[in-house]
Order: sequence, then C-alpha cells, then structure tokens
Amino acid sequence: MNVNVVLVGHVDHGKSTLIGRLLYDSESIKDEQIEEIQKLAEEYKRRFEFAYFLDSFEDELKEERTIDTVSLMFKSKLNYYTITDVPGHKEFIKNMLTGASHADVAVLVVSAEEGVQEQTRRHMFLLKMLGIKQVFVVGNKMDAVDYKKERFETVKNQISELLNSFGYATDEILFIPVSAMEGDNIYKKSERMEWYNGPTLIGALDGVTLEVKEKPLRFVVQDGYEVEGEKIVVGRVESGMLRKGDEVTFEPSGIRTKIGGIKVFEDELEEAATGDCIGITIGEEVKRGDVGGIVENSPKAANEFYGEAVLLGKDLKKGETVELRCGTAKVRCEIKEIKEKIDSETGEVIEKYPKEINEHDAATIVFATEPLVVEKFAEIPELGRFVMVKDNKNIGAGVVLDAILS
Amino acid sequence: MELKDLENRSIFIIREAYAEFENPAVLWSTGKDSTTALALCRKAFFGKIPFPVIHIDTGYKFKQMYEFRDRIAEEWGMDLIIARNEDAMKAGVGPKDGKFECCTALKTEALMKCLDKHGFDALLLAIRRDEHGIRAKERVFSPRDEAFRWNYRDQPLEMWDQYQAQGQSENDVTIHTRVHPILHWRELDVWEYIKQEKGIPVNPMYFAKGGKRYRSLGCEPCTSPIDSDAKTIEEIVEELRTTKIAERSGRAQDKEKTFMMQKLRALGYM
Repeated sequence: MNVNVVLVGHVDHGKSTLIGRLLYDSESIKDEQIEEIQKLAEEYKRRFEFAYFLDSFEDELKEERTIDTVSLMFKSKLNYYTITDVPGHKEFIKNMLTGASHADVAVLVVSAEEGVQEQTRRHMFLLKMLGIKQVFVVGNKMDAVDYKKERFETVKNQISELLNSFGYATDEILFIPVSAMEGDNIYKKSERMEWYNGPTLIGALDGVTLEVKEKPLRFVVQDGYEVEGEKIVVGRVESGMLRKGDEVTFEPSGIRTKIGGIKVFEDELEEAATGDCIGITIGEEVKRGDVGGIVENSPKAANEFYGEAVLLGKDLKKGETVELRCGTAKVRCEIKEIKEKIDSETGEVIEKYPKEINEHDAATIVFATEPLVVEKFAEIPELGRFVMVKDNKNIGAGVVLDAILS
Repeated sequence: MELKDLENRSIFIIREAYAEFENPAVLWSTGKDSTTALALCRKAFFGKIPFPVIHIDTGYKFKQMYEFRDRIAEEWGMDLIIARNEDAMKAGVGPKDGKFECCTALKTEALMKCLDKHGFDALLLAIRRDEHGIRAKERVFSPRDEAFRWNYRDQPLEMWDQYQAQGQSENDVTIHTRVHPILHWRELDVWEYIKQEKGIPVNPMYFAKGGKRYRSLGCEPCTSPIDSDAKTIEEIVEELRTTKIAERSGRAQDKEKTFMMQKLRALGYM
C-alpha cells in the first residue's frame, strides 16, 4: 500500500529531524548522503543533524529552519510511504499547504518542551479544512524532558483540547512520546519510556487503513486531440468508474452522449477506474473544464457556491473578481459576499460580513461564478476543492461547502 | 506508488502543460529519465509528440549518446532541436575552466540561446525528487524569469493538481515555466517501468561491461561508471533494490563545492 504522510507542527519542534530519523532507521539513506552531511556539518561547524537530509538549501542550513516543503519516499516492512516535510514558520504557510495537499495521513509534531504553539494551531486548522481526518500526534523531544510521563500527559491534554476544538474525535487519536534525535519510539520501541505501551510511530503508520468511498463518476476534460482523423477527448477519471457504452452528460456544456470507446496509447479499454488518464471517443465536442458523469447522477453546473478558503495573497475584497480553478476548469468569479473572517490560528470567527480579508485569514465566502461544476467537498472532494488565482498567481485555496445551482 | 499511478500522474501533467502553454518543448539528454519522459509523451498524445524535442549538446557527450540520439529521433519521428552554445564551444570552454563555469556555459547558456531563438514558454524536464535534495524542492510547474533564475524562496502555491501556469514573485516576469512530469518517480520506478513497457529504448552504456556500468549519463569528462555486474534491465532493477550507493555518485558537477547543485539550478541549470 502507498501512504502519503505529512508532518506538521510549529517551527523547531523537530519535523525534519523526525523524517531524517525515519529514513535513517529504515535504511533508506545512501552511504554517500551520510558522508555528505558529515562533511557539511564540519564545513559549517555544526553538529550532525538528521534534518540536513531534508533541508537541502544552503539557506535552510544557515537559517536552521525549513523553508520549502519536500517529499521523500521510503519503505517499511509493510508499506510504501511518501513522507512530506513542511516548514513550521508562518512566513511559509504557502509551502506548507503545497506539501499537505496530497496527504492521506498527518503526523502532528509537538515539542514536549514547548507544547502547543502558534503553528501547531494553524496547521491543524488548515488540515481540518483540507479534510485530512487521520491524525497521529507525537510528543517529540522527550529526551529534553527526561522521558517523564507527567510532562507528556500535560502536553497531550493541551493538544487534545486543541484538536477537540477543531472537531477531531481525540479518543480515536494516538499520542506517541518520541525523541527523533535519539530514536525513541520512532522505528524502535524505547526502553526509556516503560510507561508507554502503545505502538512506535512506524507501527502506527503501518496500521493505517485508507478509506475507499464509493463515488459517482466524474470525468474531467483536459483537452481534445485529433489522431489520424479521429477526435479523442482526453481527461482523467476523478471519481467512480467509466465504461464503454455509458450514457454520459457533460457540464457546463450540457452535452449528452454515449462513450463510444476508451483509448490509451495503442490500446482500447472496456472500462477506466478512478485516477486513470484516458482518451474517449464520443462523437461530440466538449471542452476543457467540462465534467462528465453518468446521466442518472450527472454533475451540475453552478452559478454560485459557498466555500471556505484561506488566503495567502495580500488581500481579497468583497466585490472583486478573481480566477478560480476547480478540476480543469478556469473561470472568472466574483467575491459576492464574505460571510465570516476566521482566524486561521484559532479557528474563531473574528468578524462577520467584512469588506475584505488579508494574508493568512480564512473565510467563508459566497462566490458568484461563470457556470462551473463544483461538488460538496464532503461528497466528492476531487471536485470540491479550488484554487483562487489573481494576476496569474495562485493566491489561495478552499473547499466547497455547498453549491447553489442555477 | 504503483507504476500505473505514476504513469497516470505523468500523463496528466504532460497534457496539462500542452493545454496551458502555447509553445512547449521537451528536453532530452538521451538518458533513462528523459527517454522515459518521451515515452510518456508518446502515450499522452497517442504516438506522435506534438512539440519539439531539445537535446543540449555540449560537445563533450559520449559517442554512444550521439548514436543513440540520432537512432531514436529517427525511429520516433521527433522534431529534434540540437542546442549548442557555439560561442563558448569555439572559445574552448571546458571542464578545465571549472565544472560550475563549464556546466553554466555549455548547458544553461546553450538552453537560454535556444529558448531565445524559438520562444518556448514551457520546457518539460525529466528531473526527479529522489535524484538530489535540491531537485526534491521543485514544483511540478516551476516559473523562471528572463534571466532563467529560479526563485526557490518564493515558489508558487501548488495544491492538489492545480499548477500555476504563469507568474513569478513581485516585479518578476515569467519567461518560461519548467514542467516536471516525472518529479514523483524514483530511480527504481524508472527501471521497473522500462522493464514493464518493453518499448522504451535504453542506451547500452547503462549495462555493465567489465564490471562497470554508468548509472547516470552526463558529459564524458565529468561522468564515471560505478562498479556493477548488471547486464540487463532485470539485473539493474535487482541491483537498485539493495544498493547503498547514490545515483549521481558518478557525476562530478554535483560535488565540486558545497551546494553546487543549488547554485547551478538558481541560475537556470536543469
């Protein structure tokens, strides 16, 4: 099984070190990389750090913090992991979101010394918004608190309270005391914390099951090609299954047609599954951005929808027009109303019906859009998430709470 | 990830690039990664790659690389562009001038000239995250300004599969975008895919002769083979499952000085 894991948490709570430790203990690191890091440490007069396997920019070494997200792959006895490190500094939330957006599972890293801090809160708020439901919590730096149970329990209670406030069921969440630096309870069971009977971090990750939910067909159109005189529509099955002969409706184009054939290079298929990038022959012109679905449960185009978003650009005003990307669609969209301005650190509503929001604010917004297929994020997440674009730059992202159909 | 998922994702990225940009091109070194990327492009477009294929020729490539290039270009019917920095080559720039200087002049600047001439707005490139720590920090769509600079401190927000097709940071203008369709592949995945697909040609230099094989191909003066007995694709796959040697261990330009790769890439190196 392949599992995408993201490590989140406040700056300096040890995310990069923990991943470095996982890679090292799973023997995923090449000898040469170890030598390189040793050389680097000598040259820069630093002590050897596992974090240097991930923090590969010179700036990251000099500033002693992660700037950009990075994904690495490793294998345990059971699973393949793509493990993503994100920066724990507010300045780099954009990079944190980039890294977290593909995750199935999150590991929240909290220093047992410092407890919950600003980015601990903000990261968890954002993960909740992104719909990442499976979370493990590690209390790191146990070596710095003499492996004391009492300290771990205090921090655990703090985190429980926080996660509860964001709507996580904390009785189902595993809390693991670790020391990434010393390797306690990461890959190997620690002998210094006899009071802890739960699994190691890798044990917990190996126990993950990924929920597979049955969803209706949604096929997003990327493009149309002409190959040896034949018109082929290319795109991806975002959810459900597509079969040859299916009656399909494409929106917003409003075209109803039958799937004549499913094509991949040098081959024809009877059916395509979620994730498949295929070509279809349908005898009709549909365009990039259209979404197809079986006629009985077809996608609908909306002119308005209600969403929750986080802003990473400078500001966003009521009445302003931005570009919005969802699936392969790119539409113009008006910020019709900002209902609530939300503090992305605490999740609290700071202002109702504000005129504008600013960098790092979250908000619930009513978008008035050119016809666009959107789905509720809770139902079909693949078409229930969007990115806002201004001056050709991706300035924010969000999820669809409800579509208001035309 | 399963090979099927890796392939799907790559094809998705390639088609996104073709839809979003007016004048893309793909870079081909003749090595295993970029040859695999070309095979994926062929799949994405049902046979014929609808944009030019650029080969950066430093004049220092191995003879077998040129032979392989010309044979496959013919076989796959490519629109092949050979990019050379003729001025630097005439002036005799070489590794003796320093590897950093040589790579920048003969590769980065050769590519710059080629872009100037043809006006490409997107370049597909077969770099992978697991090759090098600096490459691991890349986005799938990565903007470059007129001086080819990579603003690695301010990279675009790239969530889910919503790539940013234009735009750099404040006051900067994106002149072209680097597109990385196999960023998420590992070295082992590439070889397992080549093994599975059968139709992907492999430069014979990758296979062991006299106890040595090339694991990564570059310019002749700066690339050395590794100890290996892997003579077939299957044996390479087996070797890579257990090796503790880094892929680019035979590539001198990575090692001349600390953070060499970051410095090269900040200036527009691949």
